[in-house]
Amino acid sequence: MKTYEVFLKRAGKDPFAHVGALEAPDDDLALSFARDCYARRSEGEQMWVVAREDLLVADPTELQMADRAHRHNDGTFLRDLRQVGNAEPA
Amino acid sequence: MNDMGEPERVTAIEPTGDPADVPGARDLVLALADDELCIGQNLGWWIAVGPFLEEDLALTSISQDELGHARALYGLLGDDIDAMAYGREPYEYLCAHITELPCHDWAETLVRHFLYDTAESVRWGALADSSWESLGAVARRALAEERSHLRHATGLLDRLLRTDAGIAHLLPLFDQLAPMACGLFDAPSGCSDEALVAAGVMACELGNQRAQWQDIVGEALAPAGYQPQWAVADPEAAPLGGRAGRRSPHFAALHAEMVEVLSIDPSARW
Repeated sequence: MKTYEVFLKRAGKDPFAHVGALEAPDDDLALSFARDCYARRSEGEQMWVVAREDLLVADPTELQMADRAHRHNDGTFLRDLRQVGNAEPA
Repeated sequence: MNDMGEPERVTAIEPTGDPADVPGARDLVLALADDELCIGQNLGWWIAVGPFLEEDLALTSISQDELGHARALYGLLGDDIDAMAYGREPYEYLCAHITELPCHDWAETLVRHFLYDTAESVRWGALADSSWESLGAVARRALAEERSHLRHATGLLDRLLRTDAGIAHLLPLFDQLAPMACGLFDAPSGCSDEALVAAGVMACELGNQRAQWQDIVGEALAPAGYQPQWAVADPEAAPLGGRAGRRSPHFAALHAEMVEVLSIDPSARW
């Protein structure tokens, strides 16, 4: 059995979204099972089914950005700067 | 009675009449609805006990499709669908015996599923352009779902028939079930399929549909070096006649399960 990832797109402007995974012996049966497991109640009008082994998987260490404070600007620095500027003429 | 003292037989068809009134048309629809009801009920048994999770969901999703077809077909015959589906006497049901089999062995369910859904694809095809317009609409909608059912059935069957274990296990089941599945193309008592074809209710006669279906099944099994034997080996041991109102020994338990809730509370609503 191979593992497949399933993506659905609802009608309208929503993008494709991952809805889950399944196991199937081949691609045709993966499409068949995906319909019955994830789309039997019209949850989407388009479906992608991708073999997990075909996904390009990023190195998780490249995604560890939590300690890079400059990427998490919450606006307080700029706010404080403006307040100082506003206060000057008085 | 005519002047020879014989009962008169009505064979002429009113060309301008409602196609639903052609003799046998409603019985045929009732028979197809009863097939769908029993198949749907039997497939539903697999919830939570399928050989793997995906198959569990697939069989029960297909079960709901088949029950939906039953509902649509009963709806062509009257408003009280529950009364038609659950409230009749056993001899009033016209389902083919193969639909009543429990098939609690998964391989049996797969073989029956393949035989039934190939048969359905042929008969829905013969009804898709029916002069009974609402029947044609049901058939066209069902055909779209049938493609998914067939992909499931043939996907698994083709794959398993490429293995020695699959061949050894599945082919004997075809010997057992293929003759019984021929009953899916029997006409209900008093239903003349020639009249139905003449009135445009069906595109071709049931015997013709059966032959088309047998070709499809034969082609699917040819790569395994196998041709199904269609004749019933021992008609005495396996009396057919589901379409004539004769119920198989499995029907009573199946029906009891279907009406379990209604028999506790006749006013129950889903």
